[in-house]
Amino acid sequence: MGKFTFFRPTALAELLDFKAREGGKARILDGGSNVLVYINEGSIAGGALVDVKSLEAIKGIEIRDGLLEIGAGELIADIMNSDLIRKKMPFLREVLQKFANPLVRNMATLAGNIADSSPIGDTIPPLLVLEAEVVAASAREQRVIPLEEFFTAPGKNVLKDDEVILKVRFPLPEKGRGGHIKLGLRRGTSCSVASVAVWLVADKNKVRDIRIALGGVAPTPIRARKTESPFKGQSLDWDKITELSETVMEEVRPITDVRGSAEYRKQVSAGLLAKAVRQALGMEE
Amino acid sequence: MSERNDNGLYDICITVNDREIRGKIKAETSLLDFLRENNFTEVKRGCDKGDCGACTVIKDGRAILSCITLALQADGSRVYTVKSLGSWDKMHPLQQAFVDYEALQCGFCTPGMLMSAKALLDSNPKPTREEIREAISGNLCRCTGYQKIVDAIEAVAKGEYR
Repeated sequence: MGKFTFFRPTALAELLDFKAREGGKARILDGGSNVLVYINEGSIAGGALVDVKSLEAIKGIEIRDGLLEIGAGELIADIMNSDLIRKKMPFLREVLQKFANPLVRNMATLAGNIADSSPIGDTIPPLLVLEAEVVAASAREQRVIPLEEFFTAPGKNVLKDDEVILKVRFPLPEKGRGGHIKLGLRRGTSCSVASVAVWLVADKNKVRDIRIALGGVAPTPIRARKTESPFKGQSLDWDKITELSETVMEEVRPITDVRGSAEYRKQVSAGLLAKAVRQALGMEE
Repeated sequence: MSERNDNGLYDICITVNDREIRGKIKAETSLLDFLRENNFTEVKRGCDKGDCGACTVIKDGRAILSCITLALQADGSRVYTVKSLGSWDKMHPLQQAFVDYEALQCGFCTPGMLMSAKALLDSNPKPTREEIREAISGNLCRCTGYQKIVDAIEAVAKGEYR
């Protein structure tokens, strides 16, 4: 007999009841592009595989009270190609176009990338600079978790065993431009060595506000607030950006792995940040 | 919806290349395993962890990786493999172009490449060269044949094979 069972709920209440009973043994296949990999490598030994594909309650991309809300069941490919995202949040479209490759984008979801909680989850730094929130639900309650407080360690987050992600949402920024640089060995497919996202509000080149987040350079994706402060009020030119970006080397806590050394990641963080800021200012591609 | 049998297996029915294929499988069986065990061995097993694209098939109109899709996730779906494209006597334009442009060496990546190319042209019949490169970016060729593969797909997109 297989060690796994399969369940496809047809209503949200059914899913939440099942999660309340099975807890952490119920693994949500929200896209599910990583779950079979974990099964094959033996890091999930058994339990229920829950296919949420047919749940209408976690679908939809819409603006509600100034918040752009993306249902947990929406595929990356569909988010990227939605008219609303094209019109209202082209930055997110650009970011998602760089996610993995078209095959994975046809399977994976934003919520799945967040729930997976990898330090290098590529959608996370851009969502951090947009100050995204995760809306989670259990049979007990519904709650809103700021994305910045969501991750606790590699692969770990604050979701309880009986909770599922319903949607991801963020306030539609009135002003500003995004920048996002992802460093990998190959454009498609490969795991990032590090990535940086910025959201910059500037008059000409004078910084009104800046938000900076990084992936792959700490145990979780991080919002780099200490690096943000010295940028504020500054008039940026090429060299000033290089200088201010170096602060980030103090804020990251990278490790050495097969994709790069800790020292390399530290130095490259500054370079990537400078590039991302210049991108947001239209100074380079 | 699939129910678990007394022996712990699930009934499944997937329409593969327009033919209904039924079976009884374990919950964790991948779509790739299901297809290969039912003699659709044209779907190749490369890395078996979603990195190489050799197992690409088209499911409900989208190119996906069958090695990291549960067969049960495809229960009730329509799946197309490279054999749905054409036959030796009557090749699909993409297949003919791959032959003419010598877009393969060992051929292992070809079934996946063709399905990614098919999905691209179905949704975007006139892609740019850059869009073609992007569309096959999840399919690895280790014989270093990308130029010719892009050339072949571009030739079809430009109408050389009507």
